[in-house]
Amino acid sequence: MIGPSRVAELDMPAAGIETGAARPAQSYWNESWERLRANRIGIAAGLLIVLFALIAIMAPLFSFALTHYQPQTINLDETFIRPGLRHLLGTDELGRDTLTRLIWGARVSLGVAFLTVAMSLSVGTTVGMVAGYYGGWTDDVLMRLVDTVLAIPAIFLFILMSILFRPNAFTLAAIVASVGWGSVARLVRGEVLSVKQRDFILATRSIGARDARLMVRHLLPNVLPVLIVAASLGVGQIILIEAALDFLGLGIQPPTPSWGNMLTNAQSYFFRSGFLVAFPGLTIFVTVLASNIFGNAVRDAFDPRLKS
Amino acid sequence: MLAKYVARRFFASIVVVLGVTLITLVLMDRTRGTYVPGIDLNPALRPEDIARLRADLGLDRPFYLWYLTWIWGVVHGDFGRSMIDGSTVMSHILDRLPNTLELTGTAIIIGIIVSVPLGVIGALRRGSKTDHSLTVVSVAGFAVPQFWMGLMLILIFSVTLEQHGLPWLPSSGAFSAFAGGDILDRIQHLALPATVLSFFYMSTWSRFIRSSMLEVLSQDYIRTARAKGMSERRVVYLHGLRNALIPLITLIGLELPGLVSGGLVVEVVFGWPGIGKLAFERALQYDYTTVMGVTFFATLLVIAGNLLADLLYGVLDPRIRYG
Repeated sequence: MIGPSRVAELDMPAAGIETGAARPAQSYWNESWERLRANRIGIAAGLLIVLFALIAIMAPLFSFALTHYQPQTINLDETFIRPGLRHLLGTDELGRDTLTRLIWGARVSLGVAFLTVAMSLSVGTTVGMVAGYYGGWTDDVLMRLVDTVLAIPAIFLFILMSILFRPNAFTLAAIVASVGWGSVARLVRGEVLSVKQRDFILATRSIGARDARLMVRHLLPNVLPVLIVAASLGVGQIILIEAALDFLGLGIQPPTPSWGNMLTNAQSYFFRSGFLVAFPGLTIFVTVLASNIFGNAVRDAFDPRLKS
Repeated sequence: MLAKYVARRFFASIVVVLGVTLITLVLMDRTRGTYVPGIDLNPALRPEDIARLRADLGLDRPFYLWYLTWIWGVVHGDFGRSMIDGSTVMSHILDRLPNTLELTGTAIIIGIIVSVPLGVIGALRRGSKTDHSLTVVSVAGFAVPQFWMGLMLILIFSVTLEQHGLPWLPSSGAFSAFAGGDILDRIQHLALPATVLSFFYMSTWSRFIRSSMLEVLSQDYIRTARAKGMSERRVVYLHGLRNALIPLITLIGLELPGLVSGGLVVEVVFGWPGIGKLAFERALQYDYTTVMGVTFFATLLVIAGNLLADLLYGVLDPRIRYG
């Protein structure tokens, strides 16, 4: 066994017996980090995401210094301008600057994606850990709930919920996470089932550790690698889902720009400007591509068992 | 053994189905009183008329009664009536189902036809330039937003070609009302949406077949086959591919519900009159009963598809034991 299991060995309370070659503490994390760093393309993709996130955070600065436009400033004298010096990526049907809107849209699209991942992970981890740790009927009930949530085609559930709760960034993230937690819970439960069989858990319990402590201090660190992998692989998919919902008009509502809702009316401008259709989609594509490449790199580094 | 397993899986499925009805109905219950299209805010109706019409729709009944009525109907194949046009939800579904199956069925078939050879080539020439470029294409395939790919194809193959006076492909609908919808016309309408949809299947399945093939080719029985002097072609196709395709059955089985729900975004982009577009349009019009009926119908397909994939897998691969 390689990968996450090593954490378990390290986590063992000082038993005084060294089995095999002693490894320095943190070795699993160090090794994973080394493996990740060796993956040049993966690191480059990760840096690109960080760059996009920084641009999103500093959107007002870019508006002020680079594009000189606000995302919602309408100028009916300058509609459908082609990309050029005045408007680097052109303007839309209301004369709004496309680059500015893409930069501000990054705030929404990336923000919602990270928020969704955070929500799915926290709910999914809690449920998966409780189900795996307690077993029995708790496990049965929770896992049937997961089966149920995952059985409903997600897109229908999203549609149903977004007409119920007119989404803002927060509710949109909650809507997408209301499905996403299910697969995380399954993953975490599987890990917990195998980890809790190990001797160190028995040892910890025998010296009087309570359930909560066992779960947070001893099980959680052992499922962390799986969570890191799930998170980094999930971001790209969630950006895609969120963009599709925005495009359908079920997500972030105009005039707030998001990468998806910038394409909602695209079909009516086909004859005016192809750029208006191309740029937001390209932005989504590049971002998701980078997230996926980075996610794969993280998976290969942190969980070599899964390497394809 | 098998019968017992089927029975247990079937029972578990029923629990899931009941859970699904409860979830969708609780969601619907949050809205069912709030706004009824055509009745509320209708200036032609007096308040007492509104109350009477709402009572006719069963909106004043307590939740549990409403739920039981709905379940009772579903058991008898009655998914309720649309809140907008009053026709049965089932008739809407049956009306749209053939179009959706035409689109997604074509996409899945194209997906299989293209991805199997690509996957085999990738596995046989592992590490070659061909293999690497196939990987790149498939990684890119995961990252393209489906709706945007649809928009770009329309922009290129409908709009731009038409502007240059070249033959162009229709961008909307399943057939043209004027041409009468003969087979050629339908294929033309199918071309763009089916391409978008199958692209996703191609990128998923070709990767999958590649790794499945690599695994099979490393097995002992392949070495045995080679050792007894069998031609490489026979080894690869007769022993290798046949076994490598088994896991694909599961994948396609899991994709069966996608036959109905997978194309929603594509249907909306291309104005394809399928089930996904129906659910989407009705949702925007607050036609809850229709949305719920369609959701539930699609969910039934998911559960049936999963069960079927599981069982088929066992039939094709006798090593699988049902515990």
